[in-house]
Amino acid sequence: MRPFHVDLGIARAATLEAPSHDGPASWTEFRPTPMTATGETMPAILEANGLTKRYVLGRRMTEALRGVTMSVAAGEFVALMGPSGSGKSTLLQLLGGLDQPTSGSVVFEGRDISHMSDAQATKLRRERTGFVFQAFNLIPLLSVRENIALPFTIAGQNPSRGELKDRVRQVIELVELTGKEDHRPDQLSTGEQQRVAVARALVTRPSVLLADEPTGNLDYTTGGELLQALWRSCDEAGQTVVLVTHDARAAAYADRVLVIGDGRITDEIVLGRRVDHSAAPLISRLAQIGL
Amino acid sequence: MGLNRLAWRMLAARPLRTLLTMVGIGLGVGVLAASLTLGAALDRSVDRTVSDIVGRADLRVSAFLESGLSDAALETVRSTEGVATTAATLEHRTFLSTATGDPQAAVTVLGVDPATYPALHDLTVVSGTGFAASDVQVALISQELARHDGYAVGSQLSILGAGGEQQLRVVGILAGSGGVSGSDRVALVPISVARQAFALAGASRIDIQVAAGVDPATVSARLAQRMAEPYVLSSPADIAAGLRASSASFQGTAALIAAIVLFVGAFLIVNTLSMTVGERAREVGLLRMAGSTRGQVMRFVFAGALVLGVVGSAFGVILGTAFAYALAHTVSAATGVTAIVTGIDPQSALMAGAVGLGITILGAIEPALRAARITPFEALRARFDLPSVRRSRLGWIAAVFVLVGAMALVAWPPAIAGSGAERALAVYAVLLVATLLTPFFLRPLARLLGLPVALLLRLEERLARGSLARDRSRTTLTLGSLVVGLAMVVALGWSAQAARASANAWLQDVIPGDEVVSSIRPIGPDEGVRDALRQLPGVARVTPIGTFDLAYRGYRVDAAAVVGADFLADGRLHAVTGDRDAALRGLDAGGTVIVPAAVAARLGLHVGDTMRVALAAANHVDLRVSAIVERSIPATSGEAVLVSWADATQSLGVAGADAFAVRFTPDATAADRANLDATATQYALEANPVERIQGAVADALARVFGLFDVLAIIAVIVAALGIVNTLTMGVLERIRELGVLRAIGMSRGQAFRMVVVEAAVLGIVGAVLGSVVGLVVGAVMLVLGGGFAPVVGVPWLPIEIAVVLGLGLPILASIYPSRMAARVSIVEALQFE
Repeated sequence: MRPFHVDLGIARAATLEAPSHDGPASWTEFRPTPMTATGETMPAILEANGLTKRYVLGRRMTEALRGVTMSVAAGEFVALMGPSGSGKSTLLQLLGGLDQPTSGSVVFEGRDISHMSDAQATKLRRERTGFVFQAFNLIPLLSVRENIALPFTIAGQNPSRGELKDRVRQVIELVELTGKEDHRPDQLSTGEQQRVAVARALVTRPSVLLADEPTGNLDYTTGGELLQALWRSCDEAGQTVVLVTHDARAAAYADRVLVIGDGRITDEIVLGRRVDHSAAPLISRLAQIGL
Repeated sequence: MGLNRLAWRMLAARPLRTLLTMVGIGLGVGVLAASLTLGAALDRSVDRTVSDIVGRADLRVSAFLESGLSDAALETVRSTEGVATTAATLEHRTFLSTATGDPQAAVTVLGVDPATYPALHDLTVVSGTGFAASDVQVALISQELARHDGYAVGSQLSILGAGGEQQLRVVGILAGSGGVSGSDRVALVPISVARQAFALAGASRIDIQVAAGVDPATVSARLAQRMAEPYVLSSPADIAAGLRASSASFQGTAALIAAIVLFVGAFLIVNTLSMTVGERAREVGLLRMAGSTRGQVMRFVFAGALVLGVVGSAFGVILGTAFAYALAHTVSAATGVTAIVTGIDPQSALMAGAVGLGITILGAIEPALRAARITPFEALRARFDLPSVRRSRLGWIAAVFVLVGAMALVAWPPAIAGSGAERALAVYAVLLVATLLTPFFLRPLARLLGLPVALLLRLEERLARGSLARDRSRTTLTLGSLVVGLAMVVALGWSAQAARASANAWLQDVIPGDEVVSSIRPIGPDEGVRDALRQLPGVARVTPIGTFDLAYRGYRVDAAAVVGADFLADGRLHAVTGDRDAALRGLDAGGTVIVPAAVAARLGLHVGDTMRVALAAANHVDLRVSAIVERSIPATSGEAVLVSWADATQSLGVAGADAFAVRFTPDATAADRANLDATATQYALEANPVERIQGAVADALARVFGLFDVLAIIAVIVAALGIVNTLTMGVLERIRELGVLRAIGMSRGQAFRMVVVEAAVLGIVGAVLGSVVGLVVGAVMLVLGGGFAPVVGVPWLPIEIAVVLGLGLPILASIYPSRMAARVSIVEALQFE
């Protein structure tokens, strides 16, 4: 069950079939949302209800979000798309508990996180969420391994032995950085640096991975590699991913795309889980709604 | 001008850093200004004292005996070849006996020759007239006496003379204290009047002006040949040198510390301006893109430096005057020369201000050059990472250091030129080398000393250590200034300890006893006091010591009558030349003298020389120098020459002992000691354990060194200001990193602790390096200072103080930047520029 849909979303999603030039093969992969074995949709892990966020910048009041209601199901890959200044990053920050909304609520795993204390929010970030940002995710003076293990170190655990050590090794394998564990960030390419960031976000096995323009600084190929890594974590390990991007090619990896404009969700485009991440259907769909 | 306004805005954008830098410069300039102001005050005081004492005289012959110089002696002086003008003075202290006068307060009556005295001394008459004739019963009195006792011109002054009251008429009032040192209640009368009033002949002293082209030293030598009776010869230069000697080492050390504080301040300036340039690199790039020349960019860095320098120096001059004012009393007590600070001393203020400004400009050179190297492309970069930041600025540290040293040499107090300058330079050089070596020690030391912290705060320690390695030049500058400040604390502490140990060792070496029982009157050998003390239980030996002085070739020499056999048996004294045992054994027979090395050097005496001691009535006694010892019994103005009791009582007029050194048996009990004290009290004697005498010496030393400690701690405070700057800069630079760390679960507390740990690691490394460097500096000071054996034990207390300061101040300094780190807003930190 989906608690909320932008009105036209389903109807428009249906029209996706029309302009397809990818051939029917891709449509066999079409799954509107992840489903349980019994065919029911997974329960929502993250919900936003009537979120607004106002900033005071100098003497001007900026309204970044003007009432957003949405939800993300467990195991789902959701992309938040929109032009710059649309409020998509603000929404992601609120969803991850980095900031507090002016009004409305964020319910994460059944708990309202929109008015938590700093200590509670810190614990949440440490244990339940993982973040990847556009750039400068890494601590320059720490090695790849140390950077990835940082969440454990912060939590006061020793990541160099036992299960944690295995987990660090596993995520390094997942992002295909085996052999570069002792490199410093400045010895890596930008793409590799971002993959380290993904590995770090995944190492704690968070409920949700939140990524803010993770490919913004990457070229076509390395960007694709990173998205592939995100997608694999979702598809193979059931990782819930919320991705903010303005790039249709990146958004095409998602199961579902929420289009944000001027602080509101203006459209929902359901792509379904696809092995092939062709952006063409999404692009044509976006063209239809005038984006 | 537009660019200057930009410079101003750059400073205003970081008010805390700008303020800290200004305070840092201010403290440096303040210490220098205080040091110069106090030095000037001391010099003024010495000059005034000298001119009060001898006026325009080239030499002064004073009476050695209380009876004064005889008429024959005065005649000998006058007839000596090369003597042009003489002015004999008869000084006598007496009381006034009038209804108006204060019968309790003594007056100094100065009998002068009205004809010759004004030739050598200024008599500034503020009202009335000078002397008219030489035999009239008139007096000139000091303004102080007139004011206090209510005299005016024409008043009758009644003084107590030998034959009763003497009536004098006040004919003039002299300015101030009347130009006589030591008293401000002075009455000048014709010398004939004074002689008649007090029934005295001759004079107390005679001032000499030598003929043109004659060397006063030649005249001194002739006088030594011709004078039959004992006398003391002094010259203005001698007196000034004597007065200055006590203040010179103070001035030298104060100037050295000032140079060090300024140097630490220079660190602060280089750091601040470098940070500003680093932060503003993109703006600078834009300026360059818009067509600014390199020269304009440099000018605007210098404009910023000028603002810092001018405001900081002005603040420093005011602060320095306040320091000087506050310390004047302590300095006077420590040096024995009265330093009066009334306000800003223009010359000192100008000098200190110019040095402060100069150092600020020097400190700006490197950041300005770096700013000029910024290319217009820098403006286009998404994020600015100064590549040149990673390059070492060590060369510039050395350059600034050398220049500060050169400026210090120029500004070196001229009055003490030469004295201690090489010591200050050596210390300075050691500090430079230490600072340059700091970066090589930083990494391993931080790792090693961070281990205990790492056990508790693993993450914080790891991140803090990395942060310190981020900009090594900046860390070097910051750590270097801390090391230098702490090193001075340790070095000065060690010097104080060494001085104390040396004074203690001296007393141990020369005093043949555990206690010194002293008397205010001479105790004759027939009074049985010595025997009474010796028979007390637990007393092994009692030896009498009689202190007096003797006249030798125009010098007043401290002397002591001792029992050589007792010194021999007790194992006291070390001979530098001559046979100690033979000299002490032979001393008691009479005819010989044992001379301490310092006195031998001053008087030019060697073993085997004969010391002809002048006695009253043109007599003399010859004493052969039998040994020169390292140190001898302390006396009023140095160390005493040692003579036998036989010579002392038979020829030199010593009536008895004024002290007994008491040596206890090894098994003496506390009760025995108490018993001795009680017996001493019965004989109206005072028993002082040697430790108490040592304590008194230590107190005097503590006063001087306490002053230096204050100055050295200012250097540490300036270093702490630098730490605030550096840590704050570190937080600002890492704001994005902090945002990421917070986003992945770092708590506010962890962010706070990370910066505190950074400060603590800096502090621990600083304390360890500071202590080591301090020991080296201390050793240099002790060896070059001379007289002290460098092996005086490890100065644990100063090291403990350095560790406490080294840890405490940086942690205190980290509070502001730590809070800043803890309050970083994740959302703002992560905003993409």
